[in-house]
Amino acid sequence: MATGTALSQDTGRDLARQEPTRGAPRYRPVVDILETGDELRVMAELPGVRAGDIDINFEKGLLTIHGKVEARQAAETTYVLREYGIGDFYRAFEISESIDASRISAEYADGVLVLHLPKSEKAKARKIEVRAR
Amino acid sequence: MLIGNLIPWRAKGHELAASERPAVDTLERFNVEVDRLFDRFFREPWWGGSQFLPELRSGGWSWSPSLDLNESEKEITVRAEIPGVDPQDFDISVSGNVLTISGEKKSESEERGDNVYRAERRFGSFRRSIALPEVVDLEKISADYNKGVLTIHLAKSERATARRIPVSTKK
Repeated sequence: MATGTALSQDTGRDLARQEPTRGAPRYRPVVDILETGDELRVMAELPGVRAGDIDINFEKGLLTIHGKVEARQAAETTYVLREYGIGDFYRAFEISESIDASRISAEYADGVLVLHLPKSEKAKARKIEVRAR
Repeated sequence: MLIGNLIPWRAKGHELAASERPAVDTLERFNVEVDRLFDRFFREPWWGGSQFLPELRSGGWSWSPSLDLNESEKEITVRAEIPGVDPQDFDISVSGNVLTISGEKKSESEERGDNVYRAERRFGSFRRSIALPEVVDLEKISADYNKGVLTIHLAKSERATARRIPVSTKK
């Protein structure tokens, strides 16, 4: 790859087969993943989830995002139209291990989760100056 | 005998036989997914919102949000999950008994030029119109936006609320 990144090509690869074996269905949140000079940024849409109910885990290059969703309406609601199901948001990604796990940060606003995954020092693209004599 | 066992690639384990529920759930989920697929196909303009041929995109709206609509005795509540929109960019209007939600979801411009691994989120203008099941009071419409969820409360108009009429008898 000519992009000069130190991240593996598998970055952002979706790990399929996340179907839960039982219980309510899980929904796959849509995401944007982009890479800047010193971080990998994941933006996931988790509407209706409280910030405290988002569980993010990063271990051995596997990033998982789990957002717990409460029942969207009271149980006795009469629906005229129902296009949303009920179920948690869940998604897992393979991310290169050259991420500095201790500095991962996340913010959540208006239903959008923004995850900052800083690249570890050795993974950062470095420009080497050539001194002229 | 489980139907699942007749399908060769599913008959191998005992997992399915242990409980019938997961199969039922899966089937139900599949139904919902297929319904959504059709829904989206007919609701989204496939010529305008084309991901493959962006040059064909019309200047108009490119996608429309899903809705939950429910009705109680006094009001109708419409709920839409539209994360990442500035509340000021929503445009909600009611004309007759048709509710229209439109707006624009702006993308962060700084994204361009970065290395993109995935781009699944949809940006741009959206629009959805829906016929309301009853006449609503135009003066009593409120909307709030919280955690990416837009909720619109529409009070039913006085005329529409069912009234119990007592029958008196003369003695």
